[in-house]
Amino acid sequence: MSRTTASPTRLTALRRRARGLATTAVAALAATGLLAACATASGDAGAASSGSAGDASADAAGGEPQQGGDLVFLIDSLGDTWIPNNSAISSFQGQVWGHVTDKLVYVDDAGQVSPWVAESWEQNEDATQFTLHLRDGVTFSDGTPVDAAAVVANLDVWAKGDPDKGINPIGLFPKTYQSATAQDASTVVVTFSAPTLGFIPTLGYHGSILISPTTLALSGEEQADLSNDIGSGPFVVKSWKEGDSVVLERRDDYDWGPEALEHTGPAYLDTITYKIVAESSLRTSSVTAGQADVAYNAPPQELDGLAAQGFVIATPRYLGFVNGYAIDATVAPFDDPKVRQAFQHAIDRDEILSTVYTYDWLPAESFIQSNVPEATDHSADFAHDADLAASLLDEAGWTLGSDGVRSKDGTPLAVTLYPNPYLATSKAVDELVAQQLTDLGFAVDIQAYDVVTYGEKVIKNTTPIALTEITRSFIDVGTVASILTSANKGEDWFGVGETDTELNRLRDEVAGAVDTDSRAASVDELQGYVLQQGYFVPLTQIVQRIYVQNPALHGVTYNGIAYANYSAAWLEQ
Amino acid sequence: MRHLYLAYAGRRTGQAIVVVLLTYVVTFLAISVLPGDPVTSTLRNPENGFSEEEIARIVSYYGLDQPVAVQLWQALSRFLVGDLGVSMRTNLPVAQLVGAVVGSTLVLAASALAVALVLAGAIAYGAHRFPWAPGRSLLRSLPSFFLSVPTFVIGLVLIYVFAFDLGLFRVIEPDSAWATFFAALTLGVPVSAQLAEVLIAGLDHEAQQEYTSVARSRGLGEARLYLRHLLKPSSLPVVTVLALTVGELLGGAVITETIFGRTGIGSLVQRSVSTQDLPVLQAVVALAAVVFVVVNLAADLLYPLLDPRVRRVGSARSGAGVGAVGAGSAGVGSVGAGTPDGELESADVLAAFVADEQLAAVGDSAIEVPLEERVRVS
Repeated sequence: MSRTTASPTRLTALRRRARGLATTAVAALAATGLLAACATASGDAGAASSGSAGDASADAAGGEPQQGGDLVFLIDSLGDTWIPNNSAISSFQGQVWGHVTDKLVYVDDAGQVSPWVAESWEQNEDATQFTLHLRDGVTFSDGTPVDAAAVVANLDVWAKGDPDKGINPIGLFPKTYQSATAQDASTVVVTFSAPTLGFIPTLGYHGSILISPTTLALSGEEQADLSNDIGSGPFVVKSWKEGDSVVLERRDDYDWGPEALEHTGPAYLDTITYKIVAESSLRTSSVTAGQADVAYNAPPQELDGLAAQGFVIATPRYLGFVNGYAIDATVAPFDDPKVRQAFQHAIDRDEILSTVYTYDWLPAESFIQSNVPEATDHSADFAHDADLAASLLDEAGWTLGSDGVRSKDGTPLAVTLYPNPYLATSKAVDELVAQQLTDLGFAVDIQAYDVVTYGEKVIKNTTPIALTEITRSFIDVGTVASILTSANKGEDWFGVGETDTELNRLRDEVAGAVDTDSRAASVDELQGYVLQQGYFVPLTQIVQRIYVQNPALHGVTYNGIAYANYSAAWLEQ
Repeated sequence: MRHLYLAYAGRRTGQAIVVVLLTYVVTFLAISVLPGDPVTSTLRNPENGFSEEEIARIVSYYGLDQPVAVQLWQALSRFLVGDLGVSMRTNLPVAQLVGAVVGSTLVLAASALAVALVLAGAIAYGAHRFPWAPGRSLLRSLPSFFLSVPTFVIGLVLIYVFAFDLGLFRVIEPDSAWATFFAALTLGVPVSAQLAEVLIAGLDHEAQQEYTSVARSRGLGEARLYLRHLLKPSSLPVVTVLALTVGELLGGAVITETIFGRTGIGSLVQRSVSTQDLPVLQAVVALAAVVFVVVNLAADLLYPLLDPRVRRVGSARSGAGVGAVGAGSAGVGSVGAGTPDGELESADVLAAFVADEQLAAVGDSAIEVPLEERVRVS
């Protein structure tokens, strides 16, 4: 209870320090080669991650957990279909699935992998075969065991989907997947066509949820009824209403939570109610009026005021790419590296943080978020420096005209920004960036589209678009290899295809790595190269899930994809 | 006599079915010309990391890559046998989705209607009978005020005051009695404005009639005069507006439902529109068409009961009665045509004229001007 007197701002500061410590700890581990052990051995490194899971312990330090209580979580939407493993799991449904289901491994907010339903695992030397050893005694809530056969059935759906039922595979599941077989009741062997270091971390992704084979055998229509979706998690679905609410209740015989959470038994809370309140001010006001415990996705501008009133603000970052622009290096004027570099140096990230966000947001240090274990600080390569940016443009031959717009051979230095409709703050950020670029002599146009139009005009564009705004989480840094070039159905973010030999080399090194140490070195080199070439313009680290919380709620943890976990949470009553 | 009415009823039913089918087809076409579909929009969220190839496979599972004509035929042939299909957004049967929200919508619409009628009656009566002249003109300006305050402002103010400050209800229990009452108030206030406006105009008109002076001069009490003699003829346009409003209440309560966290037809439509969930939208629009047709028919049948003049002409010749009903419904903007046999008969013209005159009583009439506007003009 004493803790509750600490101001939320201080809590956030503490949390940030804890995160910093965790990162340092991870770096130290990596240096001593211990990090590699977590992929090969049973994931002892989970112990290190408790530092960052310590968000919870710091909050909970106020007193002994109390049994009971009903948590009310107000959310802007509950997504669309409830077919599990349909992988287009929204930022909303992930909250529910995380409590109804378990995963094979746990990935914390510092990217550390630790055992969960898989109590240990090994890999072969070239990282093409993995053996998972399952924990005994885990059952789905319909009584069927979470055994090797069940895990194989799930792995198959994650990797291949169920096309006959219109069910997708998981978008980020390794495309190198070949097969999974049950060696005995508690051992699963998974093989890949190429080295796939990302496999184990992917098992902790929010789409990789273990579902009862009984559910998987149902038709798509039946699976879409959440009441039919059976998991092995600490809560079960009590009732639900489409477009309205989901009520979960505690599963009393639950006893297999991730060790990293330090509380593996049944949850303290009796129920969790996820209720849709579409209007964001009503969500936060309900929490301040004591009618609800958590409000999801509050506008960043409101956070300081809420913190001042004593409410806890959590802004966990997911593992993934930072918010920024991927530049198509074939589109003029960005076919000139100097223009790309000028763009990077033109952006004042502090101004974006102080104008659009609060101090809970962090500037980008690379093109991946700094809580990714392999992230290294490359901020010097793209630091704000208007003079440098101007001289780079001068060198490239873009001269300032009397109208304040630079031009070269009669062509104005024009650029169009397309705010990402999937990120609420994107337009405000783009408006600020436009100002900063205009000061430097760019002619900037902003085209803001809704989700559907954005899909037609930007994602499925027929003519290449110079700047694409990126927001994407990943659970394993190996994902980076698939976006760099066009090889292996790569996404070719920078439009270079296979023409940049250095990029090809780094891609192969990252994709083909068989141990995390050598891969970390390649990823470091890759970050430097991409940023120095000006292929990516980082803006800020991204927080896509914001929680405003009743200070009487303790013991909340956030995983690597920034989902709140209430399996160890309790309400002070 | 009787077979004439039956023939009329049969024709009206046939027309209603055609309207519903046409609505279904037009909805389909309107949404089909828009770019994008619900499946693609969800899958393209960059957080999912799908390739266009993977997306195309799922899109083809849902048949969304088929030509529009083929998709329309499939949807229509399902609809004709009563199968509303499966929602593309939720993968749940459309009938189940709509069934789950209809109850909440009916409760809200009925309570909002009750609130609106009580408010409208009180305002209209007060506008005539309030003992203090400035009070009367204040009441007269109340409807315009009600109409000009956006619904969400009313809703938010009610929630902040009665839920957050006074704690009468919780946002997470939208079906509790208080929450329903305040939602009904939010929705009913603008509706009451329209009703009060036409009722005041009707009373204004009736109060100037000679029979009113006669009644007064014979010493009839004011309350009795209004309730027994003026209210009935004045409520004819109110019934017309009501018929239009019921449809609005059933389908257009999106804002109220969203603010109060209720899950009804309005919020279902809102979610379906934003994701272009065609099967759900078609079903809801078809349902709305059915409601409009039925409610307007009911309104038509009510006119003769409220106004003896319509009834008299009706009894003079049965075909004329039918004509009166048809004309009334034409006035409401529904499907009924003025002439049951396709050619003008004198009695039909007379009946149409009489029915129209009832409308003219509240404002200048011109057949082409939608009734709603005519009522407003007054």
